[in-house]
Amino acid sequence: MTAEALASKVAGRFPQVVMAAVPVKDYCTLRLTSASELAPVVGFLKEELGFDYLEMVTAVDWLGPVSPEGFVRGGRNPNPFASEEPPTPPAARNPGAPYKPVFDLLWCLANIPERSRVFLRLEVPRDRPVVPSLCAIFKAADWQEREAFDLLGIAFEGHPNLKKILTPDFLVGHPFRKDYAHVKDRYDE
Amino acid sequence: MGVILEKFPKAAKALPGGSVALTTADAFIGWSRKYSLWPVQFGLACCAIEMMAAYAARFDFDRMGVIPRASPRQADVMLIAGTVVKKMAEPVIRLYHQMPEPRFVVSMGSCANCGGPYYDSYSVVKGVDRLIPVDVYIAGCPPRPESLLYAVVKLQEKILKMKLAKGAGATPQQETGARNINA
Amino acid sequence: MTNTAGSRGGRFDQLFVNLGPQHPSTHGVLRVGLTLEGEVIVKAEPDIGYLHRGSCKLAETRGYHQCVVLTDRWDYVSAMPNNLAFCLAAERLMGLEIPARARHLRVVMCELNRIASHLLFLGTYGIDLGAFTPFLHAFREREMILDLYEMLCGARLTYNYIRIGGVMSDITQEWAAKTREFLGFFKPRMREYDDLLSFNPIFLARTEEVGLIDARQAVAWGLSGPNLRGSGVSYDVRKADPYSSYERFDFDVPLGKRGSCWDRYYCRALEMRQSVRIVEQALDGLPAGDIAAKGVSKTPKPPPGEAYAHVEASRGDLGIYLASDGGAAPFRLHARAPSFINLAILQEMLVGRKVADVVAILGSIDIVLGEADR
Repeated sequence: MTAEALASKVAGRFPQVVMAAVPVKDYCTLRLTSASELAPVVGFLKEELGFDYLEMVTAVDWLGPVSPEGFVRGGRNPNPFASEEPPTPPAARNPGAPYKPVFDLLWCLANIPERSRVFLRLEVPRDRPVVPSLCAIFKAADWQEREAFDLLGIAFEGHPNLKKILTPDFLVGHPFRKDYAHVKDRYDE
Repeated sequence: MGVILEKFPKAAKALPGGSVALTTADAFIGWSRKYSLWPVQFGLACCAIEMMAAYAARFDFDRMGVIPRASPRQADVMLIAGTVVKKMAEPVIRLYHQMPEPRFVVSMGSCANCGGPYYDSYSVVKGVDRLIPVDVYIAGCPPRPESLLYAVVKLQEKILKMKLAKGAGATPQQETGARNINA
Repeated sequence: MTNTAGSRGGRFDQLFVNLGPQHPSTHGVLRVGLTLEGEVIVKAEPDIGYLHRGSCKLAETRGYHQCVVLTDRWDYVSAMPNNLAFCLAAERLMGLEIPARARHLRVVMCELNRIASHLLFLGTYGIDLGAFTPFLHAFREREMILDLYEMLCGARLTYNYIRIGGVMSDITQEWAAKTREFLGFFKPRMREYDDLLSFNPIFLARTEEVGLIDARQAVAWGLSGPNLRGSGVSYDVRKADPYSSYERFDFDVPLGKRGSCWDRYYCRALEMRQSVRIVEQALDGLPAGDIAAKGVSKTPKPPPGEAYAHVEASRGDLGIYLASDGGAAPFRLHARAPSFINLAILQEMLVGRKVADVVAILGSIDIVLGEADR
């Protein structure tokens, strides 16, 4: 199924779901307009178009360049003999970058017999990152959503077991957020 | 064993010709210790694969008396083969304290030495010597199995230098850092 | 220990058992919290993160070429497919065209690495079930592959051989001859493994009826690689979404029937035969030409955009999602790690099984914790 054919099929049922302006290159990418659409669209794709394999769940924090505070050395050069050069202001580095205070969530569904896959994306505001969980539809969502919760702090509503999975219990914050500031614990210095 | 190692040196020193007896005992204890280094069967990351290669046919660790033990209670040496992350730090310390004295630690690979490629990461302990005392460090990412063999040879040399008279029957209680056995 | 009413009417003691993080057969630092009722598991909770190194976050401060080094250390048993997945995603982001010779060399290296990885699985799975000898046999052959890699790029495990735009170095005549020699040596050995392990009655008794996953369950949990194919679902990225000119090679995708531990095991054993076929074809039909695309900058700054590329790594479908903001470092790097996703099914699969089967099931999933935790 070509990307356009798939997009038009989905648009036939959900007219507000359109091809995303920034696609994941070479793949069909559909943009959802609100979190409440997620479950019906995914259900439609699974039941009627045969996309029954959840390949990936992830999210991107588009706040801006990553903060050096998120690293143990605070972004300093690891070479102790290197001269300390003044840091470039982050905004000046990439002028054309599409920074905005949102989390961009991304789901990848695959149809194994037809060898096609589709990406769904949804923007949620950074101050209230809540999306419905897909655990009831795909069991594969279980750990991947926990990972996104642990690393980016996105709350998946309806997830049966939403808790930390990768980072240690004493780690404060969500390290993959761009503004994450590392708090030194008993193992750092 | 502990009683002999702790009380015997003092008693022997008081006797005439005791120092000769001590030297003989040192040679015997050192010899038996160095050829039966049993590591905990415990791998963390990439280096563990090289450690497995060292146990396998080509490098054949067994010929140096190195036989992996499944339980830390039966082990003498701990090969820290891989990245120690903060979540794993507590179990590593606990495993170390479960091993009987004298116990030795080999830090294998850059990650265990100093954090390696993850020197900047929020979740990696920058060197296992911040948690437990280390006897031998091996450089490399990952080190070759030959390096691990060499580390065992170095550890054997170190063990031979342990002297009863200096109170080194049981290793000095040191919390962290690069350990000096004769300290 | 708590006393609860057992499922069969009587009173059973519930016992909580920690498997790992230090356990001789957990394949790395994995903890599984098992709640037992007698010998039967009523609840299993895999606990990962004991090797979470935050490499995807580190990638946000490193150049694209430097990130290849980090990918090596995810699935350290077979690092080439990791390199390849990252490079494919980065190349898609930059819009690079890869010369045919480089594409073929990548295929050769990935398939050799698949053999090496499955050999390690074979050896350690034998150890898990109490057979030590296959480990020595498997490592003998694995060392030969590692020697080839060492000759090629100087490293035994972490190669950094596949670079953005192509590969690091060309192969020599000598290398090709040695590889053919190895393949000639290896082919009859696969029957040896079958005699030693695959059709050994004790091994069969411990794996044939254990850890059944049916096709629906496998798809629902998002399994990939031999774990999915062991259940009879024909999904191989090399066929489904061909990359790096895999469409030019003739090979089969071995499938299991019932999704038992043995099916998954034997899928891998058969895959090694297919990998040998692919390597032979790739060496025979190696096109002449460049080994790297021209004009790849040393500090590439791809235009803002997003790309996804996935490869059939030794453990399954390894996908890399890369987002760029126009800077010299990836804005976001996410890996769809097959070990991580394959591991999740344990919580459903172990329930109702005996404790003795845990290691058989865990081993058959073939995880690498470096990849599961990243």
